[in-house]
Amino acid sequence: MRVESADVYNSAQIQIRMIVNGQSMEATIEPRELLLDFLRDRLGLTGAKRSCDVQVCGTCTVLMDGRPVSACCTLVYEAQNRELLTIEGLADGDELHPLQQSFVEQSALQCGFCTPGMILTANSLLEEIPNPTRQQIQHYLKGNLCRCTGYWSVLEAVELAARRLQAEGQSEGSA
Amino acid sequence: MLRPFEIHEPGTVEEASVLLARFGIDAAIYAGGTELLLIMKEGLAHFPHLVNIKTIPGLDEIALSAEGDELQIGPLATHWDLERSPTVRKHAPLLAEVESQVANTRVRAVGTIGGNLCFAEPHSDLATLLLAWGATLELSSSEAQRVLPAADFTLGLFETARQPNEILTRIRLPLLSENTAGAYRKFSTHERPMATVAALLEVKDGIIEDVRLAVGSVGPLPIRASEAEALLRGQSIEGATFASAAELAASASDPMDDLHGSADYKRQLVRVLTAQALMEASGRAAGETNEG
Amino acid sequence: MSEGIGHNVPRVDARSKVTGEAIFTGDLKLSGLLHGKVLRSPYPHALIRRINTDRAASLPGVVSVLTSTDLEDIDPYYGHSIKDRPLLAIDRVRFVGEPLAAVAAEDEVTAEQALSLIEVEYEDLPAATTLEEALSDDAPRLHETDTLRPGLFHGLGELNPDGNICYQHSIHRGDLAEAFKQAEIIVEQEYTFPAVYQYAMEPHTVIAAWEGKSVTVWASCQHPYLVRAELAELFDLPVASVRIIVPFLGGGFGSKSYTKMEPITVALARKARRPVRIANRVDEAMVTTRRHNMRCWMRTGALADGTLIARHVRLWMDTGAYADNGPRVVATAADAAPGPYRWKSFQVEAYCVYTNRPPSGSYRAFGATHLQWIGESQVDEIARQAGVDPVDIRIQNLLRPGEEVRPGGKALDADLVGDVQKIADALDWGSPKPPDTGRGLGVGLLAAGARPVSTAIVRMEIDGHATVLVSSTEMGQGVRTVMSQLASQELALPIEHIRVPGGDTWITPYDRSTGASRSTTLAGMAVHRAAREVRQQLLEIASQAFEVALEAIELRDGAAWRGDQSLSYSELIQFHFGFTGGELIGRGEVSPGGNKGSYAEGPVFWEVCVGGAEVRLDRDTGRLHITKLVSVADVGQAVNPDLVKAQEMGASMQGLGNALFEEMIFDEGQILNGTLLDYHIPTTEDMPDQFISRLVENEDGPGPYGIKGAGEGALAGVPAAIVNALADIGVQVTELPLTPERVWQALREAEAEHDDGGSPS
Repeated sequence: MRVESADVYNSAQIQIRMIVNGQSMEATIEPRELLLDFLRDRLGLTGAKRSCDVQVCGTCTVLMDGRPVSACCTLVYEAQNRELLTIEGLADGDELHPLQQSFVEQSALQCGFCTPGMILTANSLLEEIPNPTRQQIQHYLKGNLCRCTGYWSVLEAVELAARRLQAEGQSEGSA
Repeated sequence: MLRPFEIHEPGTVEEASVLLARFGIDAAIYAGGTELLLIMKEGLAHFPHLVNIKTIPGLDEIALSAEGDELQIGPLATHWDLERSPTVRKHAPLLAEVESQVANTRVRAVGTIGGNLCFAEPHSDLATLLLAWGATLELSSSEAQRVLPAADFTLGLFETARQPNEILTRIRLPLLSENTAGAYRKFSTHERPMATVAALLEVKDGIIEDVRLAVGSVGPLPIRASEAEALLRGQSIEGATFASAAELAASASDPMDDLHGSADYKRQLVRVLTAQALMEASGRAAGETNEG
Repeated sequence: MSEGIGHNVPRVDARSKVTGEAIFTGDLKLSGLLHGKVLRSPYPHALIRRINTDRAASLPGVVSVLTSTDLEDIDPYYGHSIKDRPLLAIDRVRFVGEPLAAVAAEDEVTAEQALSLIEVEYEDLPAATTLEEALSDDAPRLHETDTLRPGLFHGLGELNPDGNICYQHSIHRGDLAEAFKQAEIIVEQEYTFPAVYQYAMEPHTVIAAWEGKSVTVWASCQHPYLVRAELAELFDLPVASVRIIVPFLGGGFGSKSYTKMEPITVALARKARRPVRIANRVDEAMVTTRRHNMRCWMRTGALADGTLIARHVRLWMDTGAYADNGPRVVATAADAAPGPYRWKSFQVEAYCVYTNRPPSGSYRAFGATHLQWIGESQVDEIARQAGVDPVDIRIQNLLRPGEEVRPGGKALDADLVGDVQKIADALDWGSPKPPDTGRGLGVGLLAAGARPVSTAIVRMEIDGHATVLVSSTEMGQGVRTVMSQLASQELALPIEHIRVPGGDTWITPYDRSTGASRSTTLAGMAVHRAAREVRQQLLEIASQAFEVALEAIELRDGAAWRGDQSLSYSELIQFHFGFTGGELIGRGEVSPGGNKGSYAEGPVFWEVCVGGAEVRLDRDTGRLHITKLVSVADVGQAVNPDLVKAQEMGASMQGLGNALFEEMIFDEGQILNGTLLDYHIPTTEDMPDQFISRLVENEDGPGPYGIKGAGEGALAGVPAAIVNALADIGVQVTELPLTPERVWQALREAEAEHDDGGSPS
């Protein structure tokens, strides 16, 4: 039967490879493991947080091949041969990413629990739309809840980062 | 972490079908996982076997048919892909528009159109849209293939015509004629919409030749508002009685009382959204832009 | 000093929060850490006939299973206002979600699985799952009210329990009957306020490690010292043997005030003899605490010219199965009920009611949020009947600074008239309105500050850097930044040389709590005084070093200056100790002194709750779109104006959610919308088009430099403003939230009435 030729994994073990924050790695995982637990408990990357657990709040957002996903509802299995970016991998050493820098300057955070997810989603937005309108930002970030700020400072920070990234891009282009 | 399960990685639709047949109720198709993992995490269902159909090549393709008369969408195309696909944006911009409004950015990034339809969650944007559109769905098993109109696919709350060993392999969307325009409206107070309406109008020489109107999210499954459609057919676009049509759609919609709203209120939403969708579609038709 | 008070210093915790380095309780790892899970009741009211834990305990990976039988060596009841709650249900459960057993296991899945192996036999009891049921004559009783014991921090005077009423509180002034006799306009109505979930994004998380006769607890709690006291009493330990460490909090808003998941976690760790973590899921957090739903009847009387003269209020708040902070919420609601007006007479009767629902506690601006929209909608209705503009009727009737707010309480310490005028200006009050657009405002007061007991220590180390030890919890409000600025101001030290670590009851000294908008005012005063002590020591040492009088020394930029000569703080400390070591220590305290300590003499200050709104109504769907929100922060003096504004924005947005759509829906005591899929909180797409915040700095607060607290008022002001803006369009509602459906129904009723009125019958 053909079925035998299909790969069957029992829950014990799967070997996967992936790139996490620029580093390639291998891991032995179980199919049932959730990406959020894997990142937090096994890799010690605790920037992604657990909150709503139903893909509404966005505190567990990480980027998988550049797209924001809810790590709370993603199997680690999905990360096979993919590139993951968590908040810990966004800065360039001690130099903050322009989004991080603008969140600091605009005080676009309070308790900070939603901040990693908010910044990563915004990062994905700016990669796709470098100069978004306010409405586009609101639409893109709709799935990242923040109970503290009321969002104004967040929108301003994203706009500031967009301006800076564009200016950077232009100066690089002319260099 | 979830309760233990195995993941199977079939290489073909046939293999997948055999696996599904073999494990029966112990198996579930695994695609985007946005709905499946939610219910598994909540402990509402447990499947010892997940059949990952993402290992089957080609199921995420989005292409125009050879004849150029329909859009063929693989079930694994994500909302994200469909929103951004140049083919979709060119040939079915209304679909791209609806996709951009599904759930939130992260769900769109991994959730698939096939998963959305097969899960038959009653608040599906796509089920409503595709019903109005007259899409057809191809289903395959190791034994047979069949084609079903979207209207015959969703049967009820979380219930479809798909047999346990069948896999939705393609969604076919006929391209809308040049004089057809569409519009989609939804109303949400929570994460999932409370009412959805899709309207397609075919207008020739100022006369409504055909109209297809679907109402969803208010009841267990989307329905066609046939009386409203019949009323509008043959009317001039200038003097079309959209308000009366909306009234008929509201009466036909048969909403359920639930947490998000009373049947009465949902009927009102259907009334309002239907009128808005028809107005917008007629505006688009008058503008002679093909927004379908 | 450019980093002292009044400056928009960037948050000191911002960098760690944008890089993911900021540590929250759930991020901590301890070796040997076990995962705790809680078995919760599926019934609103039932006797527990039998619990069998054998199968659960024998599951591999399970270390301990805890039930109430493990608590027989202690008095297992707690509750800071009323000691009515057993650590785990004993003999009976009183709400859906009540913990009755807990498991500690090597991993979470095993712990979950073990829960499913615990066998419980219940015997259903009649339940009182609504206020109406609980208050009926034949209602099942939740507690034996004659044996209710006051908690450690009740501060409430007599409880006066009666049936399912666990606390009643009344205030009055003047002759009510006489005042109403004079009234020419009377408005009377019943109102309903829903149960609301605070939704701090981080659900309650606790780690406990029991070591011999002491315990260390890492907790997402707002009030570490109150938690410490309750744990010490529960487990019969000296307070110093209970160490509470508070990492960053992922939001509080009152949901993490007082004691929540700490007792169960400690009991589990005590049994397991290994560290245990319990991390609530959101659905568990929702049954851990919430905002009180309320029924209220209010009657307001005025003269024909709009002069307000009398108000009578009765209110019943659903505190759920255990009192939690309910009595305090009820007392604060009573304080807020009259509104900030010059009454001839008022009377408020307020009741805290047990029901078979999850317990209710604190949530930002409690009491005021409940009452202000009601009182203010009656003021607007009187204005309409009297033909007076809503702004004018307030100017006409509002209390002026120095006037009595409630009998025996602190006199008004804010310029409410000025605040209201600022709202009106920001709303372009008199300007023409687009169709289906309304404007409204709301003004009120919130008794703020809680008990004024705070202490702080400032240590200046040998390198001239300072550490501020203060137990105020950083939960997003920016308290570490504010304390840094206050210390910077007194020490004339750059902010990057000041460190404010989190609360740790072994290290940071006593602070009553982080809530009631008190930290900047009270803990801030303690820090200010502690820093001043260090400042004084620096001056004295410099005076010796320079051999000049104290007055000739100036402290600036981390150094003491005499003319153009300077000695850095580091050099001064070395000079003082004659050694490259040693440190200066300053201490500060705030205390009400020897007074009787009754809340009745409070509050520490009155926090203004002033909001304005402009709304547009979609008549077809009943949906409200908020075009403009305005708030006024009357803060005495802003330490960091940007942080004040951030508080206003956040509180306003929560006010918007409370006003428009937030509501926990129960059926027979069971929550129906227990996930974020069905409980909607404001998103980026719910934002108003415009938000304006006005800062008022009259230096009229009791804190250093005339500071008083902020951060809650807008949450009460905004719903009142939105309700009045909707009434301005002609739609009056008596129940929150203003869901599109509710507004649509109200519109239909209004139209039906209008049609009846217009018929030629």
